[in-house]
Amino acid sequence: MIKSLNLQDTRKKFSEALDHRVRAITAGLGITELGAILRGDPPTERPNPRYKVHTTSFLFHIRPRYYEMGSTIFSHTFRLGFFTSLFFFVELFTGLILMVYYTPSPEKAYLSIVDLMTNVPYGEFLRNMHRLGAEAMVIFTVLHMLRTYLTGSYKKERSFTWLTGVVLLGITLFLSFSGYLLPWDQLAYWAVTIGTSMAEAAPLIGNQTNLILRGAPDIAANGLLRFYLLHVVLLPLGAILVISIHYYKVSREHGISLPAKYTDEGNASPEKKKWAKTRVDFLPDLFTSEIFWTSLGLFLTILAITIMGYRAPLEHVANPQATPLDTKAPWYFWWLQGMLKLGDKTLMGIILPTIIIIVLVAIPYIDRNPYRSLYRRPLAVGMGLLAVGALIVLSYMGLPQFGIEQDPATRTVQDLAPMEGTGPIQKVPFDQLQTGAYIVNETPTSDLCPNLDFGCPALESVLTQYTDKIDGYVSAGDLPQDTQATMVIEDWQKDLKKVTFRITWTDSDGKNKEYSREVFLHAMRGGE
Amino acid sequence: MKRIQLEIFLGILIALATSALIIYYGVTEPARMETNAEAAQAREIEVGAALFEAQCSRCHGTQGLGIPGLCPPLNDRNFFDNRLNEVGWSGSIEDYIVATASSGRLTSTRPQIYPGQGTPAMPSFSDEFGGPLRPDQIRSIAAFVLNWQDTAQLVPVPTLPAGPTVGTDITKELPQGDAQSGEGLATGLGCTACHVLTQTGPTWPAKDGQPGVGTRAAERIQDPNYTGKATTPEEYLFESIVDPNVYVVSGFPPDVMPQTYANQLTDQNMADLIAYLLSLK
Repeated sequence: MIKSLNLQDTRKKFSEALDHRVRAITAGLGITELGAILRGDPPTERPNPRYKVHTTSFLFHIRPRYYEMGSTIFSHTFRLGFFTSLFFFVELFTGLILMVYYTPSPEKAYLSIVDLMTNVPYGEFLRNMHRLGAEAMVIFTVLHMLRTYLTGSYKKERSFTWLTGVVLLGITLFLSFSGYLLPWDQLAYWAVTIGTSMAEAAPLIGNQTNLILRGAPDIAANGLLRFYLLHVVLLPLGAILVISIHYYKVSREHGISLPAKYTDEGNASPEKKKWAKTRVDFLPDLFTSEIFWTSLGLFLTILAITIMGYRAPLEHVANPQATPLDTKAPWYFWWLQGMLKLGDKTLMGIILPTIIIIVLVAIPYIDRNPYRSLYRRPLAVGMGLLAVGALIVLSYMGLPQFGIEQDPATRTVQDLAPMEGTGPIQKVPFDQLQTGAYIVNETPTSDLCPNLDFGCPALESVLTQYTDKIDGYVSAGDLPQDTQATMVIEDWQKDLKKVTFRITWTDSDGKNKEYSREVFLHAMRGGE
Repeated sequence: MKRIQLEIFLGILIALATSALIIYYGVTEPARMETNAEAAQAREIEVGAALFEAQCSRCHGTQGLGIPGLCPPLNDRNFFDNRLNEVGWSGSIEDYIVATASSGRLTSTRPQIYPGQGTPAMPSFSDEFGGPLRPDQIRSIAAFVLNWQDTAQLVPVPTLPAGPTVGTDITKELPQGDAQSGEGLATGLGCTACHVLTQTGPTWPAKDGQPGVGTRAAERIQDPNYTGKATTPEEYLFESIVDPNVYVVSGFPPDVMPQTYANQLTDQNMADLIAYLLSLK
């Protein structure tokens, strides 16, 4: 009895049992060792248990045991690949939850998004996070590629890794684009209609490809289901496979490249070169570092969608009968839209993008220059910067405001009261929408609402913009001198006003022309 | 402090800040969902308003006040308070609006006062039943109509004719007409809405140098462009009321005036109306 109550003995037995449990969970790290890791102390046992984990644990065995010091310098990689994969996991996690609330059918899809925003706690949060994560993933993928290109890290043994990276860029863009259709709003419907219509321009197989993608000549129930399955099954599976290959090459075969100055071609001192090659162990250094960057990445994402007000847009429900003005692709495809304005759909939409992809894949084989330093490959760096510049210019040309001839009356009204999204008239607070007829160049643009305590600056601003636009077109000769422009605000229903924009003019043939648009505005409509 | 410890320290701080953000968001979430729900409803009403204007207002009136002799009012106290009982509808008023708008009406429930546009009395509007709109658009229209519920006033029901209706034979012998009761009829039937108050149809009283409808009726039958069969001013007015598309005054579109008065007015009503119109010189 007394012997078994020996306190020290019991304590020892207990801590042994605890240590045993902990080792089973951590795949070999004891309690003392865990403490040492957290303190940043050297290993407490021999052989180094922190290496053993990489063979005994599945999750650690796919990670490298160490990086070379030089490759962990922040300004060398900017952790761009790391952030790309972080956002991939954010997408997987938020996407899985969003799938619970989503029904891929034209009747239900839009309603399920509205339900998500109005009836599911954290529903809008998840949707915003999924959308922001997707955009961040595209940004980081492209930046990661640019970094790899500029540091020359695609050469020699890394050429196949570069190839898988190009495939991943494609998968990322298609993942993002296939998700674009799912809310089934006007934005989604028309962007994807334009996108898939490019496939139609492909020679020989165009029509069939378009049919396979859309499931019918126009996007409807079949098309939505196909894009849904692409988005949630085929493309994520493909991404996981190719990411695995991409990462395996990095972690097991060639590691992250060293900055050029620490390699044989570089002119750093021998001590520095030696330092750059010292090992940084995964446990604890890289592991804690990754957890730090993860928490920072998630914090900034959540900050953007909570405090900074990032919102995933939701326009009116998709209407195949009404094409909205100013339809545009997601921003990461503006360059393609810009290219399409320059020429024929087959050439600019199919042939040229194919050539671009082939060039991207072939870069490691075209570029035979053995050096990696920026200064020793002026041609490659010049071409790269030229490509970035071209991308920006083409993206600008892809904007709907660029290079599309529009009737000045339509343009004016669309700028003031866009069919989708929020324009100046939609931003006017409800109480400032005072009923009456406002005539451009007759109604004064100040003191419009003397009966309101603070006046109606927003409404006055709309009328000022209206006047400026019309006067601009008249003085430029796009509209004749006799142009009359009015804005009429009527009480229509409880909490509902009707705003009518009407522009009348006489055209060169002496015919009376008119363009008008009616906008209904409800008090509770909210900003965006 | 070593780099690892700094990272762990900052990491914990950031994780705490993130949790605070998520909790803060969660606290404000019910209000946010409420605002989103209101905004969604508001958008629905806006969409419904545009659709109502395009699809329904021609018959039910731009403000939903109905057009006597054509379609019933919807912006009407009686519609929201009693209509479901009248027709024995067991569902909600929203269901009633959606069902009626979706599938239309083969025959009118009140053929004497609101006969609709003919057969069917009201066409089906949902594309499920061969109409032009999607089901979600029908729901938007219902949201717009339901937004009248709080403010709707009672719209007076037009008076019913007593006795057999007059028919379309314009040569028919009519009894002696009384201009004063004809004026009452013209107001009660809603004729004045288009023919006096607005210029949707030809204006009856003398205006801008033009003589009144009584004088014009006599002149019109002499007009070489006149396409009807009337030989007297009385017959001309009779014809214009029961069969308005036989001759449409230039400057006005056909099909605007209801073509149902032959089945609504008695012989005496017609005589009174004609007497009243002829008095407008």
